[in-house]
Amino acid sequence: MAKKNKSKKMSESAAATETSSGADRRSFVAIVAGGLAMMGPIGAGVWSFLSPLFRKSSPPEVRVALLDQVPADGRPYFFPVVSDRKDAWTQYSQQKVGAVYLIRQPGEEIPTAFTAKCPHAGCSIGYSADEEKFKCPCHTSAFALDGKRVNGDEEVSPRDMDTLEVKLNPIEVADGESVTEVLVTFVDYQTGHKEKHPTS
Amino acid sequence: MKKLATGVVDWLDSRTGIKGILHEALYERVPGGARWRYVWGSALVVAFMTQVITGIFLWMAYSPSTQTAWESVYFIQHEMNGGWFLRGVHHYMSSMMVVLLAIHFAQVVWDGAYRAPRELNFVLGLILMLIVLGLSLTGYLLPWDQKGYWATNVGTELASQAPVAGGAIKKLAIGGSSYGHHTLTRFFALHAGILPGSLVAFLALHLWLFRRHGLTPKQPIKNPDAMFWPDQMLKDCVAALGIVGAVLVVTVYTQGAELTAPADPANNYAAARPEWYFLFLFQFLKWFPGELEIWGAFVIPGLIVAYMFLMPWIGRTKPGHVLNVLVLAVLLGGSAWLTVAAVQEDTLAGSPDATFEESGLADTEANRNAFAASLDFLKAKRDAHFEAERVVDLAKAVGIPPTGGLALVYDDPYLQGPKLFKQHCASCHNYEPLGNGLGDYAEQLKEAFRPFLTSEEQSEYEQKLNNLKYPKYFRADAIINPAPTAPNLYGISNGTWMSAWLDPKLIASKHLLGYEGSPFVDGDMMTFVVEAHENDPNNENLDDDVDVAFRKISRALMEEADFPNYLLDDSEASKSFREEGRELIIGGLADVLDSGMSCVDCHKFHDEGDLGSAPDLTGYMSRQWLIDFIRNPADDRFYPDTNDRMPAFAPHDNEQLNQLDDKTLGLIVDWLRGDWVRPEDTVED
Repeated sequence: MAKKNKSKKMSESAAATETSSGADRRSFVAIVAGGLAMMGPIGAGVWSFLSPLFRKSSPPEVRVALLDQVPADGRPYFFPVVSDRKDAWTQYSQQKVGAVYLIRQPGEEIPTAFTAKCPHAGCSIGYSADEEKFKCPCHTSAFALDGKRVNGDEEVSPRDMDTLEVKLNPIEVADGESVTEVLVTFVDYQTGHKEKHPTS
Repeated sequence: MKKLATGVVDWLDSRTGIKGILHEALYERVPGGARWRYVWGSALVVAFMTQVITGIFLWMAYSPSTQTAWESVYFIQHEMNGGWFLRGVHHYMSSMMVVLLAIHFAQVVWDGAYRAPRELNFVLGLILMLIVLGLSLTGYLLPWDQKGYWATNVGTELASQAPVAGGAIKKLAIGGSSYGHHTLTRFFALHAGILPGSLVAFLALHLWLFRRHGLTPKQPIKNPDAMFWPDQMLKDCVAALGIVGAVLVVTVYTQGAELTAPADPANNYAAARPEWYFLFLFQFLKWFPGELEIWGAFVIPGLIVAYMFLMPWIGRTKPGHVLNVLVLAVLLGGSAWLTVAAVQEDTLAGSPDATFEESGLADTEANRNAFAASLDFLKAKRDAHFEAERVVDLAKAVGIPPTGGLALVYDDPYLQGPKLFKQHCASCHNYEPLGNGLGDYAEQLKEAFRPFLTSEEQSEYEQKLNNLKYPKYFRADAIINPAPTAPNLYGISNGTWMSAWLDPKLIASKHLLGYEGSPFVDGDMMTFVVEAHENDPNNENLDDDVDVAFRKISRALMEEADFPNYLLDDSEASKSFREEGRELIIGGLADVLDSGMSCVDCHKFHDEGDLGSAPDLTGYMSRQWLIDFIRNPADDRFYPDTNDRMPAFAPHDNEQLNQLDDKTLGLIVDWLRGDWVRPEDTVED
């Protein structure tokens, strides 16, 4: 009973401002309801739009060469990196996904692998045999044979060339001989940073 | 009739109020009368309309995926009626739009037209400008060609360096961690949907506010006011005609926009540059090495754009306005200067064949580096043009496979051969046309057929050669190794290469067996050829006989090689030379030569002779023969005991264990044999 009276009283006291506050309330509800209604389609869209952020991929371990192809002479040898790759709905088998330089110093067994992607802006680094330097054609970054930047921090590239993990894999071939594969874990690194961060 | 028209208009008006709207739109007061300086805004609207119209028609033919984007643009450019024109207008009008934007912006700042109450409209204008730049950035990628792909790649790599969310922004923009189908679908949705949609919305606001405030008249007002229709409209329309006309002229003059080779994620295009109106940013970035890059890419441009948004408030006072005009001048002047500098740096060397010594530049390290960088740029550009032309010719000749245009590039011996040769062969082998004419086919063939033809046939044959159209892609360029340690492989498997082996001078030269460190200099073959010519009792006459015999043999071997050349003569006479050549090989030669030897004394040739001491001549230099040879030169069929340092490139059945996979091997062999598609393969009769 008391409750009823109270509410009656309230509605009476509010009667003077009824028109404006009621309209406010209805406007507010309209905006919220309309907003909520639109949240459905927008949410559905944004949810799927963001999906690249949630997809993780692990770097492939790729056979890039046979050890015989990398003489221990301290000179860089260029090899394409060929790996299976999936692009949305298309499955590519054995596609060129990048390139590496392998260098083996005299006496070394395991070569060092540098990815040919420039840490500055992602261009493909070339090798100039007469200057014995790695040179990027885009913004003139230059690297020594050990991957260090020729001009240190003066160089446009924020870091030295990225090394990749190398493994050797000896294989027995049918006729009793064996060959050694050079396996490289091909990580795609982000460009422009002082530190190496994988892109995925 | 007129009555009917009025009736329809009245009917429409009573339901829509169209008369009032039209009146409102057309009868805007122009203070001080119509002037040319007021045309820029409407010129921009016309430019945008052009983009919408051409864009929609392009849309009808465009397909955004990595296997269809380049392909559909190729089709627009090269197969559709007027497609090149449509695309050209869209391309050049985008440049025109940027120019018009700069003029419009400069004029508004100069006139102080951003002052109250027009601040908000100035802000809307800046937003429109950013949208237009966004449209041009996204549009540049859509053809999915080398140029657009790599230029955009540099752009999105930069975006990934943005503080905090850079990596996420890049991933969202390109739809994954690397470029692919979803980069195209997203860029296309931006380019054809979100950005133009927002542009229309903001343009409507911009025009609405413009009408609300009226245009900013040039003071002092000298002439009486006029109405927008028809006075200003006339000037606007003339300007529109001029602008569209200029774009059409440029489009026709340049034969439309460029389409480079299909994007190849594995092959960086070193000459990738953004569209010309972004070159200043590209150049500006060079000042910010390493970690400083975010200053050049984000902080400073961000501050400049922020300043631009604040211009109306800074310009409220006279000194503030002067400052705005100064900033404008610095921005425009600086951008122009940076653009020129970027072009100059790229073209410093002048031509891809220039040398530093000839350039006349002072010999400093900085100059040398700059020169080398420019040379790289020009070479990459030349190579890209060459590759683009080739792939378009291939697409026209053989069509594009379902896997896309890139497969044309990768399956083409003509494009891949030189790269693979440099990578796998050129450290030992030379690939160089010889002065004696391993180079010029026509000369060589004339020479090769000389002793066999009657004078009548001779002149007929020469006539044929003279009429021969040298098709495009007729031969490959030389790849010179000045100090070879293996035979020159230029023109391998053609008749002249064969006859060179039987020429005492050529076989002893560095091009065949006389190379540095050759174990064959005193070998049986060399001795045989030299003696065949030297130990000739009856001198010149018989020497001619030997010559003729050797020529016939080389003809026969050319047939053995199944030489893919259309110049292989099918006349009865030629057939009989080849037949005689085969007879000589299997023993006939013994009667001609003093030594009494013939080829099959050392070589195997079909059923005659034995393997072991010299390479098999059965199918000599044919595709399969060469493939088998490169797989394992020390095989019984080739040089089981005398192989000189040549590695076995593919001895194993499992290609994973080989240095060269089967496809690569095939490409190298096809290229060496000159067996590639020549789209204009024509020999005139």
